[in-house]
Amino acid sequence: MQKNKQMQKNKRQNVKNVRSVIRQTVTGYAGLSLGIVLAVAGAIVTALLPPWILGSIVDTITAGNAVPVALVILYFAFTVLTGLTESLREGLLTVFGQKITHALRSSMMDKYTNLTAGELTKQEPGTIVSRFVGDVDTVEHLFTSGIISMFADACKIISILVVIWLKNRGLAIVLLILLPFLYWFTRTVQKNMLKAQIENRRAVGRASGHVPETLHNIRTIHTLGKERYMEQRYDEYIAESYRAVDRTNFYDAIYSPVILILNAIVVAFVMLFSASGNAKVLTLFGMSAGTAVAVINYISQIFTPVESLGMEIQTIQSAVAGVHRINEFYVLEELPERVRNLETPVTTEEETPFVELQNVTFAYEDDSRKILHHLSFQVYPGEQVTLSGRTGAGKSTVFKLLLGLYQPGEGKVLIQGRDAFQIPENEKRSLYGYVEQTFHRVPGTVKDQITLYDDSFTMEEVREAARIAGLDATIEQLEKGYDTLCTSEIFSQGQWQLLSIARAAVAKPKLLLLDEITANLDAQTEEEVLQALKRASEGRTVISISHRVNAETGRIITF
Amino acid sequence: MRKNAWKKEQERMKQISEAVKKDQILYYFKTQWPVLLAVTFSGLIYNLGLLAGPWFEGRMTGCLVDILGGKAGYQDMLVLVTAYVMSIAIVQISRYIKRFYVRRFANNVNRDMKEILYRSLVHRSRAELEEEGVGNVMTKAILDVDDCAEGMRKFTTEIFDTGVALAAYVGMLLFYDWRLAILGMLFLPVSYVLAEKMKRNVQRTGAAYKEQSGDLSAATLDRATNAITYRVYGREEERRQAYEANLTDYETSAVKTNIWSTAFPPLYRIISMTGVLFILYFGSKNVLGTGWKIWDVAAFTTFLSCFLKLAVKSSHAAKLFNAVHKAQVSWKRIKPLMKETTYEDDSLVQEPGTLEVSDVSFAYPGGEKIYEDFNLSATPGQIIGVTGAVACGKSTLGKTFLCEYPYEGRICFRGKELSGMTKAEQNGMVGYLGHDPELFNDSVRNNILLGDDDDPEKYLKAVCFDGEVAEMEEGMDTIVGNGGVRLSGGQAQRLALARTLCHKRPVLILDDPFSALDRKTEEEVFANLRKLVADSIVILLSHRLYLFPKMDQVLWMEDGKVTAGTHEQILEKFPEYARLYEAQADGADAHSTQEGGPDHAEK
Repeated sequence: MQKNKQMQKNKRQNVKNVRSVIRQTVTGYAGLSLGIVLAVAGAIVTALLPPWILGSIVDTITAGNAVPVALVILYFAFTVLTGLTESLREGLLTVFGQKITHALRSSMMDKYTNLTAGELTKQEPGTIVSRFVGDVDTVEHLFTSGIISMFADACKIISILVVIWLKNRGLAIVLLILLPFLYWFTRTVQKNMLKAQIENRRAVGRASGHVPETLHNIRTIHTLGKERYMEQRYDEYIAESYRAVDRTNFYDAIYSPVILILNAIVVAFVMLFSASGNAKVLTLFGMSAGTAVAVINYISQIFTPVESLGMEIQTIQSAVAGVHRINEFYVLEELPERVRNLETPVTTEEETPFVELQNVTFAYEDDSRKILHHLSFQVYPGEQVTLSGRTGAGKSTVFKLLLGLYQPGEGKVLIQGRDAFQIPENEKRSLYGYVEQTFHRVPGTVKDQITLYDDSFTMEEVREAARIAGLDATIEQLEKGYDTLCTSEIFSQGQWQLLSIARAAVAKPKLLLLDEITANLDAQTEEEVLQALKRASEGRTVISISHRVNAETGRIITF
Repeated sequence: MRKNAWKKEQERMKQISEAVKKDQILYYFKTQWPVLLAVTFSGLIYNLGLLAGPWFEGRMTGCLVDILGGKAGYQDMLVLVTAYVMSIAIVQISRYIKRFYVRRFANNVNRDMKEILYRSLVHRSRAELEEEGVGNVMTKAILDVDDCAEGMRKFTTEIFDTGVALAAYVGMLLFYDWRLAILGMLFLPVSYVLAEKMKRNVQRTGAAYKEQSGDLSAATLDRATNAITYRVYGREEERRQAYEANLTDYETSAVKTNIWSTAFPPLYRIISMTGVLFILYFGSKNVLGTGWKIWDVAAFTTFLSCFLKLAVKSSHAAKLFNAVHKAQVSWKRIKPLMKETTYEDDSLVQEPGTLEVSDVSFAYPGGEKIYEDFNLSATPGQIIGVTGAVACGKSTLGKTFLCEYPYEGRICFRGKELSGMTKAEQNGMVGYLGHDPELFNDSVRNNILLGDDDDPEKYLKAVCFDGEVAEMEEGMDTIVGNGGVRLSGGQAQRLALARTLCHKRPVLILDDPFSALDRKTEEEVFANLRKLVADSIVILLSHRLYLFPKMDQVLWMEDGKVTAGTHEQILEKFPEYARLYEAQADGADAHSTQEGGPDHAEK
């Protein structure tokens, strides 16, 4: 089972870009992919047939014969079939598009889990969300309303042209000449609309930003009596947006009429030519009444896919940009493969240091400045140690090395004799607890804050952790106790800090790392926090970073 | 029901306008009558003219048959074709006019509603907006306006495109052969009822999808925000699996909602098309002379083409009701906020005068007393320094003059009680600059002038900000960003001070305006301040005391008590003041940063 997962993971790691994820999805769901191809082709073919049959019906009537019922039923049957294949195509495309987005997001999350700590801190959370959500959605659109429908539309145009060629050669030539112009017109309108829409979005952004700004600055507005001025500004922003919207409206309103008038003109020409009685013209344009009905039908069918074609090209363009950004994400630096099944024995004897830095030199990758120079120190089991030094001396960096976030350039960082960077994920919590200046709230209940979604902790352990932190009474008073959903207002800043002590203490770690935890607290809360720490530190090895050094903090290491 | 409303509206338009009621939706239809008139005319022409297409197509086919049969000539076709193109052109031009003006109508309504909402928002008191949550409600209402106006647009559009067009098509079908028309249309209601039934599923799955998509974004944001925490605590693999579960839920809900909304419409169309079976069969009988009516081929094709268009159109009928429903929901939320009232807003800038404060004490509603025994007597030109320990309540003392909450005691300016003045008078008396510079996302110039006609340069000079502004790429027209993010803390402070000076009031309350400035600049600005507002009373709250010997009076706050005196008197009376002053006189600029923090937290 474990091995299986491992293999799966390795397989996933081979995934390096959007294209390979898509390829895997297509081959992974071969039946689905085949179904889409068939449905697309089916919808094109079946849509061609009804007008053809209609033509025969009209011709039959014109000849003065009764229409066979079978022909009528055939006409309807193909209409039904068209609907069904279209429905099938839409359904399959939806499923397929979602499979691709799921696979993409999964593989991106794998990638994210393997990023180096340096890359993790460099990524803006907002940017990550737009990569995972917005950009992946554009890839989905690429399939559901981009490439495949573009292919379908192109096929539709070609097949209609072929049918018209068979029915009325002259009209096919007219359409062939007309289509490039039609396409050009469609794109011009769409491009201009997009431009106006972007402008509008910008203006809308300004206008809607004006409201929170007003709320924020309401005191200034009131005391300076600037209500009217603010109203004028708002009106200006809205007016700006409306100028842009008006432009969009213009293009939106002009497109269909132009197309339909064009449609009418083409029909008119065909009718005129076929009525000309000129033998030469008739070799190209001659047709029966039935054909005329069919042709009118086809002409109106050919204009729709041209319009869609334009939209699809736009979708593809924006998807290409999204794919590009996702691929950039895929090349971020990954962690080196961890040494699995770490064989180094854990040393727990009293005399060997619990934590040891041996001649450590370290610099962050994007910064040539060395933070640590040949630093060495040992901390023995049960010892309480304070790291001291001026700001920027690298105290926090030492913590990051101990937490296995970074590897030292030279030297060794050892916890219980093992390389700190190689400590497996599932051992981390019982080995060390880390308390920072600020509490990082996760979505969920109070219990989730303490356990970080680890269900292996019993309720008793959670309560014990809260008791150590001195928060148990406060939590019990909440309406739903430990199951209360956390919002920022349920605890004060100091209480959140206490909660982070509970989070660190719940797994009963052997080592506590405390980073400037009282820096933002007032005297009263600071006292509470220190008391909690005293309880938490009992029988543990503690390394802390603090500017305020006092007698209780034990041995001091200065660097 | 909506149609009735529409009719009523038309009748009302004729009447002489009654009292303006902006919380009535009809008001918006009424004020936009010229636009709506254009929409009505072009809409009618367009939708009735739609019949021209099928009719002409039928005639042309018939004419072709006649020509082939030798019964008509080329000339007949030419006439027919020309008329066809002309009529299509007229119809389509009307369509253009209709589409354009319907959207303009929605735009205008949108703008009018937003302006009313905004006006009512900007006049609400700070307490209402922030503490009672009115601000959030109104922000949401402004977003609701978009939905409402969009709904009104769709309603107006569909009235013509669906209502009128459907009626026209049905009329034409009935005219040609009423029995066949009824037979053909039998299936339209079936398809409509089915679509309506399915709508609930569309909405339900749509809502579920929206929720899932929100969850996914939240999960992604959490994963990215707390990445290091999860790594340090060894929770990454578990989080990855939880995310995978999120993805699976998202996929399921997305597939469901998309299938309901994309895979079903073609099926409804099939049902509406069922009637074509009868039309082809009985219609051909009509042509052959064995049916209910006598038709020629032209009538047959017209009838058929009319029916095909009707089948497509009827699937839009649901849209009309959806649009109305959506608009109603959002309008209901906006309506209570749309009451139009008149506001007095221009502040009446008052003449300089003396300020008498006697026995003032203050507590937030339901809270303990923040300070008491506040006594002060000040004449124009005086600068009064206010200080005390961290969190002693000096910011609260400054804000007392804003009358956001009632105070006890008397504050008299030129013999008039502050709390008895109108809002405009109060605003014309007190100028206030708080911790938060409250800058606007606008140019440096506009931030100072706020629409007034003045020279910003002299105020920039006074706050020693002119040099830096001149060095900016666009100088005075540089946009400062949201809340002034593109400026440093000290720059933002000075810009806000320049704005306060530009809108001079006889009493100026400045809460720590120099906290981010170096000592030299601070002294320079202070000297300029004295010159520029020589006839105003300035109350300067600060924790940096080296300027205090230059103050005309000093207010010392300790244990909720306010004591007024000269610098020397306070120095003598209060050892704590002396200690603070001595400590800072050593030139330790650093104190300021340490003390700045907690004071900001005070509300």
